[in-house]
Order: sequence, then C-alpha cells, then structure tokens
Amino acid sequence: MRALVIDDSRAMRRIVGSILEGFGYETRPAGHGREALDVLEEGWVPDLACIDWNMPVMDGLQFVSAVRANPAWRQVTLMMVTTESEHGQIVRALAAGAHEYVIKPFTADAIGDKLALLGLLPHGVPA
Amino acid sequence: MSAPIATLLDDETVNAVAAEVWSALVGEDEVLVPGDGPVADGRSAWVGVEGPWSGLVVLTCSASATDDLTRAVLQLAPAEELADEDVDDVLRELANILGGNVKSLLPGPSTLGLPQTGTPPQPGTDVRPVGATWRGHPLTITVQGATEAPVHHPTTEVTP
Repeated sequence: MRALVIDDSRAMRRIVGSILEGFGYETRPAGHGREALDVLEEGWVPDLACIDWNMPVMDGLQFVSAVRANPAWRQVTLMMVTTESEHGQIVRALAAGAHEYVIKPFTADAIGDKLALLGLLPHGVPA
Repeated sequence: MSAPIATLLDDETVNAVAAEVWSALVGEDEVLVPGDGPVADGRSAWVGVEGPWSGLVVLTCSASATDDLTRAVLQLAPAEELADEDVDDVLRELANILGGNVKSLLPGPSTLGLPQTGTPPQPGTDVRPVGATWRGHPLTITVQGATEAPVHHPTTEVTP
C-alpha cells in the first residue's frame, strides 16, 4: 500500500512516514499541497494521504478540495494530521472530503487505530 | 479586547500541554520537569494565534537543548552531524504543536499561523512565561498577547 505524507515540517514527514512504513506502507513525502498534487499528477496515486493543515503555498484544506474535485483520485483516503483541533475546523475538513482526523501530538497507536478503522491496515499487521 | 492570558491559562495547564507534546514527539520516556527558566541566550520558535485572544506561543531553548531535542525527535545517532535547518525545523514543529494545543484552550474560533524561528517579537504586559527543564536543559514556553503596536507592512510608495 502507498501513502503520501504531506507536511511542511521535515521532522513530521519523517515521523509520520516512519510510522506508516512500520505498518508496511511505501511512502512519499511532500512539503505542501501543491507538491503533493504534482505527485498525484505524475501518476503516483496513493491509497492514503496524511495531510497537515497549515502549510505554505497550498494548505491541507485546499489540497483535500482539489483531490475531491478529480474523479480519478476518488480512491485516495484522506486523513488530516494537524494541530487544528477546533470542532469547526474538523467539520470543515470532513465537509471538504477528508475521511479521518488526527490531532497532533499523536502516537503510533493512534495512527494504527485510525488505519484499522478505515480498513487500511495491511493484512497481518496488528493495530 | 480579550481577557489577559494570565486569567485564561495557568502554569500547570501550560506544563501539562508541554508534557504531552514532549512525550509524543520527543519520546515516551522523556520527562519535562516544571520550573526553572528563563533561558537567557536561547534559540526560539513561535507561532501566532489570531482570534478572540491574539498573540504568540514561543518556545525558547538553550543551544545545547536544541541539539539534543533535534537528535531525540529525528532519532539521530550521536555521531550523525546536525544540520541547522533540521534544528530549526524541529523547533518550529514543537512550537506549532504547542501553539495548536494552547489555542484549543483559549476562546475561539481562532486560527494558527505558520511557525517561525529567529528573534520573537518582544512581549508586552500580557504575558505568561512558563519555565521547564528537560534532561537538565532549561527551556521556556511563553504565551504572550499581541502588543498594541501596529504591524508595519512594507508598501510601494506612490508619488503624485
């Protein structure tokens, strides 16, 4: 399974990427939404995208809207991974098309629980 | 104008937020001990909050703390060389997560800016500095209200 990790922090891309690789994912990083769209447009369409909200160039919400506007990317599961924890922001992200929402700071177990909920844990990997 | 930060947050709450961030990001067994600080000549990262309460959440660490923090967060071996941009990135992300979690305790709705490093704006009178110690290094988390001074935006001058 493939995951795109979108965050303007290199440290956070590394942390999320490493957790997902532990669950058996092949990952690719992107520093903002526009860079992530470039990855999709070149044909590397992931099963999962983990998306930070506040990023330069193109933020996470704009990225979610752009992905949802393209039927070719309908199978991509979108999971916000962000410090934005206000109820109104969560509702906005879900309304735009995000499937799940993880608030930073998080643990590897929290990510595993969300993947299990989404049916995105590769077979044989305990949550 | 919103209530002063001292009436919205106490030291204990800021310390609890910081302890949770440390445990998740720096390491499960990493203990942040309340007290000590302030850091005189530290490196800072901060993030802005805009809403009913507007201001900054600033994290300031000593140089030795920032190096150890970066190694811990990125899980680098002691022999691995540290890049300056990694140190700034880790500080920024810590400030970002601290800021987001502090924001969730303040009156909303509000928005969070992008984190920055460098010399943070001087606090005014609405300020709550909270000191802590990690692995013997002092650090400070400062929640400071926006100052009244107008922000200068450079503009192109138009002459008649």
